[in-house]
Amino acid sequence: MGRTLPSATQLMHLEEAALARFRRALRRGDQLVFDDLFSAAQKHISAAAYAAHALPFETFLMSMLLEEHKEIMHLREIVKKLEEMHA
Amino acid sequence: MPEFTGWLLDLFEDPHEGLILYFIDEAGARRRLHQPFPVTFHALGTNAELRALWQHLNSRPREIALSRAQQTDVFKRRKLTTLAVTVHNPYEAGRVFHQTASQFPKLEYANADLQISLRFAAQTGAFPLCRCRAAENEDHQLIEIEVLEDAWQLKPDPIPLRILSLSPDVAPHHARPRRLNIGLEGEDYQFDLGAWRPLLVNLRALIQRYDPDLILTDWGDTWLLPLLLKQSEAYHIPLGLNREAGRGVSWLDERTYFSYGQIVYRGQQVHLFGRCHIDRQNAMLWKDCQLDGTLETCRVTALPLQTSSRVSPGTGISSIEMLTALREGILVPWQKQQAEMLKPAADLFSADQGGLVYQPRIGVHKNVAEIDFVSLYPAIMVHFNISPETILPDPHKDNIVPALGLAIDTSQDGLIPKALRPLLEKRVELKMRLASIPTWNPVRKNFERRAAALKWLLVTCFGYLGYKNARFGRIEAHQAVTAYGREALLRAKEAAEDLGFEVIQLYVDGLWVKHPDRTQPRDIEPLLLEIQDRTGLPIALDGIYRWVVFVGSRQNKDRPVANRYFGVFQDGSIKVRGIDARRRDSTPFVSDAQMHLLELLAGVEDPEDALPETVAFLRERIGALRSRQVPLPDLLVRQRLGRKLEAYRTPSPAARAVLQLRAAGKEMRPGQRVPFLYTLGKPGVFAWDLPQKPNPRAVNVARYQKLLLRAAGIVLESWGLNEEKLTEQVLAASNQPRLPVPPRRHKSRHHRVESRAFNPAIEQTLKRHIR
Amino acid sequence: MESPQTHHLQTSADEKRQQITTFPAPKTGKISLVVAPKTVVESMMSMLSTLALRGHVIVIDGGNRFDGYALARALRRRTHQVQPALKQVLLSRAFTCYQMVAVLAELPADGTPVVVLDMLSTFLDENVNLNKRKRLLDTSLNLLRRISEAAPVAVWARTHSTVGDEDRQLLISLLEAAQDVWELQAPEAPAHQPPLF
Repeated sequence: MGRTLPSATQLMHLEEAALARFRRALRRGDQLVFDDLFSAAQKHISAAAYAAHALPFETFLMSMLLEEHKEIMHLREIVKKLEEMHA
Repeated sequence: MPEFTGWLLDLFEDPHEGLILYFIDEAGARRRLHQPFPVTFHALGTNAELRALWQHLNSRPREIALSRAQQTDVFKRRKLTTLAVTVHNPYEAGRVFHQTASQFPKLEYANADLQISLRFAAQTGAFPLCRCRAAENEDHQLIEIEVLEDAWQLKPDPIPLRILSLSPDVAPHHARPRRLNIGLEGEDYQFDLGAWRPLLVNLRALIQRYDPDLILTDWGDTWLLPLLLKQSEAYHIPLGLNREAGRGVSWLDERTYFSYGQIVYRGQQVHLFGRCHIDRQNAMLWKDCQLDGTLETCRVTALPLQTSSRVSPGTGISSIEMLTALREGILVPWQKQQAEMLKPAADLFSADQGGLVYQPRIGVHKNVAEIDFVSLYPAIMVHFNISPETILPDPHKDNIVPALGLAIDTSQDGLIPKALRPLLEKRVELKMRLASIPTWNPVRKNFERRAAALKWLLVTCFGYLGYKNARFGRIEAHQAVTAYGREALLRAKEAAEDLGFEVIQLYVDGLWVKHPDRTQPRDIEPLLLEIQDRTGLPIALDGIYRWVVFVGSRQNKDRPVANRYFGVFQDGSIKVRGIDARRRDSTPFVSDAQMHLLELLAGVEDPEDALPETVAFLRERIGALRSRQVPLPDLLVRQRLGRKLEAYRTPSPAARAVLQLRAAGKEMRPGQRVPFLYTLGKPGVFAWDLPQKPNPRAVNVARYQKLLLRAAGIVLESWGLNEEKLTEQVLAASNQPRLPVPPRRHKSRHHRVESRAFNPAIEQTLKRHIR
Repeated sequence: MESPQTHHLQTSADEKRQQITTFPAPKTGKISLVVAPKTVVESMMSMLSTLALRGHVIVIDGGNRFDGYALARALRRRTHQVQPALKQVLLSRAFTCYQMVAVLAELPADGTPVVVLDMLSTFLDENVNLNKRKRLLDTSLNLLRRISEAAPVAVWARTHSTVGDEDRQLLISLLEAAQDVWELQAPEAPAHQPPLF
């Protein structure tokens, strides 16, 4: 009903498509990492939608960084536990 | 002056007597009254233009009276001077208006082309089916009418409708009906279709003897009544379907139209005079509403019963808005629509959005509370006074809509909140009462059906606000509602998190939350109060799930979607959304089985304990399928044709079924659901409505088996039994050759990245820590 | 009145997806008409970005074609101050022909350039009688003429593969009202991928 702009999900697909040439020239293994980053960004699509940036790629990058950092924090925990165990 | 008390049954315009009104007297009589009822429409334009119109219309003083009037334009927020054109004969009003409009196309018009029942209700307060007291003179002219029960009555006095039902013995598009079933007052009759003379004579006699108020049919609009009328003419035996003498029945043509990308089909309609005809197969939302809900819709929309039962909820809401406008002296625009205000493009990004929706984590969650705002969008419209005329172009400091750069004028009640408030309050009231009425009480069904009717109207009013053809539509109002909706949901989330809850899922007007120590309904009360406090909107606990499973999308199991889930509440009841058990296109064999699986899981404390029984059940179902014990109607798939046949490059199963029908001379319209079976070989489908009977041996057992196991997998996956495992376990017991393992779904995007070389000792330790 | 001049737009060779065309900015005193398929939206947004950086510009969208993100990208290529520039573009979307007339009738006559996107879409609504639509289109064109006396006006009429009789009739009215007409053919897809060597 009177919607003009594409949804956040559609925008993400467009951004992915815009990076298609970049992805193509990557090594196969790196391509999988690339896909992983976009999967991560997918998790926070609703926040990106709510943010309503005119240049949405910034919010997608933030989402990727968020998930990446979550992973780091999780790994830090594990490393700490391991260090304690092997101390 | 003689008075009587009763109910207004029907009203319509007459060429000579003005308005005709049929009443049901509470003493048992049916009364026909009449009343002169002039109809007024307004013309707007420059003084010169209106003067020209005046001169043109002034030549017929007996038919038309002209005057200047002051009426409110809701969008301009002020009174305008109009030329009020009053046509004495309501029957002629439509014609006079259209002639005027085509001769003076430059002018704007208002209060034109309106249902007479709306005008009558605006003037007298009396709506169709209302309980009232009426005074008439010796000439049976209605002198006075007083409404005794308004439309918002929770327990209105039931109308003693005399109902005659007419039904063919089988659906006409499926097979040729042989008999006509007639029911009235507990008596049932059957007549052979084809033996027309006795049928017509007897039907006429029954109608005369019983004098029904309501004729309830199946396929009466599209097949039965047209056929009966045709035969009645051929045999010269008038049926007397109308109570009103001298009038033929009223025909409305069938229509197919486009509405927001969807093809909508409306069958032709047969309306009666003095009596009402409802076709259960052509009545909107009959399944949810039944007669109780349909009567409710009629009362609150003030549309005559025959109209209200057939129109969409959108038209219903539009009528409510128009009635409110007429009562308030607000002009109902005829064609003009409000344009969107010029706004900075920067604002479009935050304005052009829907409701907030999270991606849930796929899988099973325990002890989750689902809390939902009660009729969120209508509640927002009423609470924040959102209406086309309350949106201010120059925002002041207060009452700014979040992130939109618009402000709401709260100094006066807006038209839409005025129209919706009683509707909303009544629905909330019915819902609250329902919570305490036991299941065995017959009043419960009545309340449920009426609540459903009101729900549909409320659900539509938001969409209608932004609808381009709506009389009182305004896109800014629509945007304001969604903006408040997002704000309310976020505040609810914040309240939940502030109180220590984890938010599992957010969805437009509801959230799923969990807290390790708060697993009982009374533990959720403080959260509900906090949310109500922070948002000003009512919110209720739908229930606490023992467990709930969020399912991935149909195309990709690993991609989370918001609207596919199922779960069991603490009271044992099951809620399902989006999967086969709830989809209208899935086959009963599969959806019933899926539902049964859910019931098995719901029946035990720990779902894992029910697994053996689920496998046994599936084995039994597959066995029944293979030994052809499943009745063919249970295997029917009902899909809609999404587009015109020619538009398909490779025809979908539904399209192939339609092609079969076409070859057999039967046309299916786009927008209608096509029932068919999956069969072996080409074309792989058998349309159910073909004249010949299907061959049970041709049923594609393997395909139905796969559909069943896939649907079962969706339910049981969370406890280890996905489609593959099920296929193995369920089919292991059988002697039949194993069917191929179903193909893998699309790979998830999570590919394992090459691990760097680890110290084996650490790797062992890691394996124990990583989930 | 000058006879309308028809130009064929040069397209710079670029990726299939993005055809950059250079529209000259519209001038006061005349209605500039662009007749092109929907692929021209990206270029229109580019033209809008130029106008937005100069000052206010009014956009009337008659076919739900406004691409806010393309406009933002076009602005970003020129400036870091994307938000202020986006605020200079004043947008109104017309979803019916009545709304189109209503918005044109209420436009401020203060010299702000006016760009109309997909002008004819709302006039193709078959739910409204053709004569009524023609009348409303004439009213709209008269309003545009008056606006063009004080401000630059550019109109885009969208062409599509299936052109009906009604489309043609309405387009003719539009062609007669415009002074400058720019026509862009649909980009031709190459018959095959050219060999690398």
